[in-house]
Amino acid sequence: MSPQNNYYVSRRQQNYSRNQNTTRFQSAVKLGPVAHTVLVVLMIIVLGLIYVTQATRTTGYDYEAQKIDSQIAEYNEQKSELEVEKARLTALETVKNSSVAKEMTTPSSTQYVQE
Amino acid sequence: MKPELIHGSRSRILAGAILAIAAVFVIRLFYLQVIQHGHYVDLAQTEQVKRERLPAKRGEIYALNDTTPVKMVLNETIYTVFVDPVVIIESGESEVIAKALKEIAGGNVRDGFETQLTKKDSRYQIIATRVTRTQAEKIKAKEFRGIGFQAVAQRVYPEGQLAAQVLGFVNAEGVGNYGLEGFMNEELAGVDGRLETVTDISDVPLTVGDRNIRVPAQNGKNIVMTIDRNVQSKVEQALAAGLKRSRATDASAVVMDPMTGRVIAMANLPTYNPADYYKVTDAALFNNATISAPYEPGSDVKTYTMATAIDKGVARASDTYYNTDSIKVDDRTIGNAVLGHTGVISFQTALTWSLNTGFVTLAQRLGDGKQITRTARDTMYEYFHDRLGLGQLTGVELANEQKGIIISPNQPDGNAVRYSNMSFGQGLDATVMQVSAGFSSIINGGNFYQPTIIDGYITDEGSYQKAPLKPPVRKSVVKATTSSEIKEMTHIARSMFPGIDKPGYYIGGKTGTSQVIRNGVYADDETIATYLGYGGSDRDHPEYVIMVSIHGDHRVLGGSTDAMPIFTDISNWMLGYLKIQPKGR
Repeated sequence: MSPQNNYYVSRRQQNYSRNQNTTRFQSAVKLGPVAHTVLVVLMIIVLGLIYVTQATRTTGYDYEAQKIDSQIAEYNEQKSELEVEKARLTALETVKNSSVAKEMTTPSSTQYVQE
Repeated sequence: MKPELIHGSRSRILAGAILAIAAVFVIRLFYLQVIQHGHYVDLAQTEQVKRERLPAKRGEIYALNDTTPVKMVLNETIYTVFVDPVVIIESGESEVIAKALKEIAGGNVRDGFETQLTKKDSRYQIIATRVTRTQAEKIKAKEFRGIGFQAVAQRVYPEGQLAAQVLGFVNAEGVGNYGLEGFMNEELAGVDGRLETVTDISDVPLTVGDRNIRVPAQNGKNIVMTIDRNVQSKVEQALAAGLKRSRATDASAVVMDPMTGRVIAMANLPTYNPADYYKVTDAALFNNATISAPYEPGSDVKTYTMATAIDKGVARASDTYYNTDSIKVDDRTIGNAVLGHTGVISFQTALTWSLNTGFVTLAQRLGDGKQITRTARDTMYEYFHDRLGLGQLTGVELANEQKGIIISPNQPDGNAVRYSNMSFGQGLDATVMQVSAGFSSIINGGNFYQPTIIDGYITDEGSYQKAPLKPPVRKSVVKATTSSEIKEMTHIARSMFPGIDKPGYYIGGKTGTSQVIRNGVYADDETIATYLGYGGSDRDHPEYVIMVSIHGDHRVLGGSTDAMPIFTDISNWMLGYLKIQPKGR
C-alpha cells in the first residue's frame, strides 16, 4: 500500500496507556459537506417512503374488505329473497289450494282415548 | 483566511434576493400548512369524506302456527329503474333497451316508457317500478349505458289479507300506520346507522385518517304475535259465511284465551290487502272495529249486571222477580223484546230469554230494591268501569284503540234512567275487545288480564324469545263463586239451542241485539247482533272466549239468528283444533 493513501497512526502516539497494540485505519477519501447533505436527504427520503408504504398498507386491504362486504350484501339479499319465496309457498292459501290439500277430506268423527 | 463575499457585491445582492424569495416561500408554506391547517383539513374532509346513512332493516312480524312462529310480514328489496335519456340518445340504443326492458320487466314498466327513453330535455326518467332483484340483475348484465337502479325496501304480506287490520301497513315514507305496524312503529323501525369515512374515487371506504365514524344500524325488533294464523283464517272464513247468510255488510270477531288475555284471533270484514293499501279508497277499511268502533253492546252486558248482583249478594240465579214485560224508571217505561214470560220468573229465565225487566230489577236491588239509587249506580260504575274495564282502554298493542263512554254517576247524565239502560247494555259505548276482556275476567275466576297481541320476539340470530306471561292487572274483580254461577247461567242459556255444539263440551254464551243510534234516536230498522261466549272441556276449564258482532245497513239482525251461528262455527272448530278432550255428555 502506498504510504500516501494509507498511513497508520499508532495509538501509542496518541495514548499514554500501556499494552495498547491497536491501530486505526483512516481512509484518505473524504466527503465534503454537500455530499453529506445529499446523502442525508436521500436517507430521509428513503425512510419517508418506507413510512408511507407501511402506513398506507392497510388501505390496500380496504379493497378486499369492500369486495367481501359486497359479497355478503349480495348473499343477504339472496337469502331475503329465498325467505320471501318460502313464506309465499308456505302461506295458508297456497297450502289450502295445493294438490295435497285437495286430496284431504274432513274426518267424519273424532274419538278420544282416555288416558 | 476564510473567503467571503465583498460587502455590496453583486453576488451578495443575488444571495440576498434568493434568501428573500426563499423566505417568502417558507412563510407562505408556514401560513398554509400551519396557520390554515384546520381550514384545509376541513376542505379535504368535505371533498373526500362520504357521509352515508346505514338503513336499519325493519323488523318482521310473525304469527303462530300452533306454537311455531311463521312469518306474516317480511321485507323485500325492489328496484326503481330510471334512465338518462340524453345518454341513451347518444348511445343510439333506445330501441334495443326498450325491447330488453319489455322482455325482462314487462309487467313493471310504465305505460309509454319508450317515449320517455328519448326525451331530449330530460336527464332523469323513471321507466319501471317494483322490479325484482333478479330482473334488475338481468338488465344490469346487458350493460346498457344511461340506466340506473334505485333500491327500495318494501313490505311483503305472503298471507294476503289475513289479519290485515291487526297488522296495519307501512306507507311510502316507511312509517307504520294502523294496527301493530302503527303501534310498534319505533320498535319495528330500528335505528339507522351512520358511516363517515374517507373514500377513494370509486367511493370505496378507506381506513385512513382518524375521523372515520361507523355506527352500525340497529335493526328493528322481530315481533311474534299471539295471533294463530289457522284460527285467524277460520274466523275470517266464518265471518264471511255469516255475512253472506245474513246479507250483512260488516262483521267482527275476537277470540282470546281467558286465562292469560292472549288474543288468538281478531278479524274484521270487509278487509283489504296491506300490500295494496294505496289502492284503498275507503279509509274505514283500515280500522280494526274490535278496538276502534265503540258501540252499545246490548244484552251481552246482562252477564256483567248479573255478575255484579251475585257478587254483591243481592241476587242469585234462582232468585225471582215479578215480570210484567215492562218496568218504569222515573218517567221512562222499559219493555222486553221477548214477550210472554210474565209472572214470577227467575233471573236465570230473565238471562235465558234476555228480558230487560229482569236486569233493571237487579239494578234496583243494588239500590233500595225499588229505585236505582246513587248507591246502585256507584256499584254498577265500579264493576262495569273500574273492575271489568268498560269505557277504558284495554292497552292491547294496536294503534287507534278507542275508550268508549261510560257516564259516571257523578255526572248529570249518570242518572237512574241511563243506568237502567246500562243494566241491559244500552246507554254506554264499549268496544268488542273491552267486552271480551271483561267477560273473560268474569268466567276465569275473577282475574282481569290485559289483552295482549305480543307473544315474544325473534332475535337477530333467529332464536325465539317468548315474552313472560303477565300477571293479572286486577285480581278478584268478581268472586270465584260468582264466576262459577255466571258460567252455569250462560251454559243453561245456551242449552236452549240443543244440538248445535259438539257433545261432551261445556259451552256457554249470551246473545246481544242492540239498536243503532241514528241522528240521536234509536233506529227501528237497524241493529247490531252480537254473541259472547266461551268454551272448554268443563266448567272449570274455559279454553277460549269468542265474541262475534255482525251488522248490516238497514238490516235488523238478531243475536241468536245471525251472530250465534258464527260463534258456533268457530267454537266447534276450536274444540278440534285445540284438541280439547270432551269430559262429559
